[in-house]
Amino acid sequence: MTGVVLRRGTELLFTLLTLSVLVFLLTSLAPGDPAEEILRRGGVQPTAAGVVALRAEFGLDQPLFTRYLRWLSGVLRGDLGRSWADRSPVIGELLARLPATLRLAGAAALVAVVLSGVAAVRVALRPRAPGSRAIALVTVAMAGVPPYVVGIVLIGVVAVGLRALPTGGDVGPGAVVLPALTLGLAGAATLLRLLRADLAGSSRLPFVKLATAKGLRRRRTVMVHALRLAAPNALTAAGMVLAELLAGAVVVETLFSWPGVGQLAVTAIRQRDLPIVQAYVLVAGVATVLVLALTELCLAACDPRVRRR
Amino acid sequence: MRRRATILLAVLLGTILTGCGGREPAGREDGRLILAAPRDLVAGPRDPYYTHQTLGVWEPLVTVDDRLRPVPALAVSWASAERGRRWTFALRDGVRFSDGTALTAESVVAGIKRFLRIAPRQSAFFSLDAGMEGAYGKVADVRAEGGKVTFVLDEPVADLPGRLAGFSSMVQSPAAFTASGDFAGKPVGTGPYTLVDWVKGQRAVLAANPHHHGGAPAYETVEVRVIPDANARVAALRAGEVDGLIDKGALLPGQVAAVAGDGGFRVVRSPSVLTHYLTFNASRGPFSDARLREAADLAIDRRSIAGTLLAGTATAGAGFLSPVFGDLAVPGLATAYDPVRARELVAAAGAPAEPVTILISSAETGQFPYTDIAEVLRAALEQAGLPAKVTVAEATKAVMEAGDYDLFLSAYSVPNGDADYLFRRFLRSDASWNVERGLGYRNPAFDELVDRAAAETDRAARRDLYHRIQRLLAADRPMIPLAYQDNPIVTTGKVGGVRQNAAYVVDLGKLAPVR
Repeated sequence: MTGVVLRRGTELLFTLLTLSVLVFLLTSLAPGDPAEEILRRGGVQPTAAGVVALRAEFGLDQPLFTRYLRWLSGVLRGDLGRSWADRSPVIGELLARLPATLRLAGAAALVAVVLSGVAAVRVALRPRAPGSRAIALVTVAMAGVPPYVVGIVLIGVVAVGLRALPTGGDVGPGAVVLPALTLGLAGAATLLRLLRADLAGSSRLPFVKLATAKGLRRRRTVMVHALRLAAPNALTAAGMVLAELLAGAVVVETLFSWPGVGQLAVTAIRQRDLPIVQAYVLVAGVATVLVLALTELCLAACDPRVRRR
Repeated sequence: MRRRATILLAVLLGTILTGCGGREPAGREDGRLILAAPRDLVAGPRDPYYTHQTLGVWEPLVTVDDRLRPVPALAVSWASAERGRRWTFALRDGVRFSDGTALTAESVVAGIKRFLRIAPRQSAFFSLDAGMEGAYGKVADVRAEGGKVTFVLDEPVADLPGRLAGFSSMVQSPAAFTASGDFAGKPVGTGPYTLVDWVKGQRAVLAANPHHHGGAPAYETVEVRVIPDANARVAALRAGEVDGLIDKGALLPGQVAAVAGDGGFRVVRSPSVLTHYLTFNASRGPFSDARLREAADLAIDRRSIAGTLLAGTATAGAGFLSPVFGDLAVPGLATAYDPVRARELVAAAGAPAEPVTILISSAETGQFPYTDIAEVLRAALEQAGLPAKVTVAEATKAVMEAGDYDLFLSAYSVPNGDADYLFRRFLRSDASWNVERGLGYRNPAFDELVDRAAAETDRAARRDLYHRIQRLLAADRPMIPLAYQDNPIVTTGKVGGVRQNAAYVVDLGKLAPVR
């Protein structure tokens, strides 16, 4: 187990360093002049002197490598720089948005895990029942519908039609329901497909049949024995779904005006606010790598075969 | 067991759908107004203004009306002397800042000197850059004299009040700023509202300013929510979560008809400072040939673009200055739609072998249907015999500086009544736009007229000069106006007093519930 942690830790450091180079290069080499874009935000053509002054202030007149080293040394000291759009500290911007993203990601993950778990067990217990067939059909349909379409339908029916929940914004505890459902349904469809297939496979294994033959209740056989064996693939997929959610569900956050890091990133990209974009990609990358590493540790804890690899 | 689970599920769903306390009540209590805007109208303490003028936290010396005419705000009157080298602004009596201190000429001068000290500085609304140059570029001194504010200029300026209108003449209490010119705390202005709470990127909460010189506004509290997505804004309006949508781009052109068709809403369409222009790259063929520029001009059906693609939220362009410039807009200048003549011109000049490139910016396709307009332009040019293609770029500046375009479709605005800005910044021989983007427009007669108009203090003579400039541009065609854009905003029928000036400023202090 210690070996897994050490190996993962080294890989993580290497991944983050590579990520930092990619993040900085890709955002810095994008065409256009951020200083000019930022000065033109009011729709007014900037003066040449204004652009030169702002480029100097942002350090854009320095060589790329110098800028990268300066940025990296700041990042290592926990200083992600200041927003070019309004000069506020980037770390403060991210921290202010993180609770909303965590809340949405948590709620969406809950919806995905509970829905997929309940549905998968239901299908495994009564594979030929009409309800199980309906679940299979809905799963396929949900997997093919983009989350923003689900979101638009939910807004139209629940928020505008029934006026039961807010259309968007973080304006109260109920506000998280629709965006979480939108994201959670998409995640549930992915997890359910994996879990259903693996449960069907593991239910046919001899030891499960033996348990049934010895008189163990079907529900207990599936939930305790078969589900545990079927879990690893779904657990890996859940890790990836969670990593995506933590990186900020950009489309859904925009659709629901959810004030998370995804919306922050969209605004920053529109404004050419590179320090925010760089910090966002870096944090999203770190979250993804960490969640995937954590998933592997969980798998290793559950499955001795993974530990031996 | 199954029944228990069903009951539990029903209770859970019921709790969620009845709101968990997160839903706004359908009827708000009196005195509270909730609006939504596409962007945050508060930019924070590091911005030169802190808040947008629309929020009514601060007021300028001069503002503009719906025809870009300078009208009094904190200055009640103004007068020029020495042929426009000296301007004096008389202040409104009895005005107090929201902290209770009195407005004085000294506080106005301190604010202007702060601008001059901290410029150039970017802003979310109107950077202290080109606008500062327009407003204060020729100011030698500004001082308080006998309770009035006097500007002494190096050269005559005919339209200083217009150039100062809005952001350039923001007045806040000197107590609001530190010695370095940053905000010491919240903004302290003279407007009908004060900023009491702000969650960046989410909402601003305003409370009525008890010291406002115009009396207390009708709403005690105004909340302005930030909803960047256009469909989400309309959904919030339809769901009764907000009472109105304000600011630039509040409603997209394609949304206006559906919202206006709902009897519960009132759409206010007022002309804006925004005009859609088509810029020619005349530094290379084919548009270095004036006949082909004319052919392109005649091939475009502006009425269809304004009426259909922009869904009637714009009117067909003609003169370079839109009608919001009042008498400076040249009258009687009409653009013809004559595809037959366009084909003749192309035949006479010879069609290029390579297709011409129509360039649009991806940043603008979200607000206006530029992809559709560019396709219509492409079809119109091809019908006239000019093969064309459409290029969408994120960084149009780089593409244009490389000279890799023939036509550029984009929208431009002026932040105040400064007509000189468009000609001097875009088209004069040494204008950065003209030189850097390779427009290739050189006309000494135009340059001379622009300089004369900027210095002319006689109103009628200046107007005539601007008319001559626009007739010259209509003949030379370095840039042609396609359409003058309105800015539709909307409120529910319960909100009255909605007015918007040409610079997208809604006077929140004038909003009142309809009884």
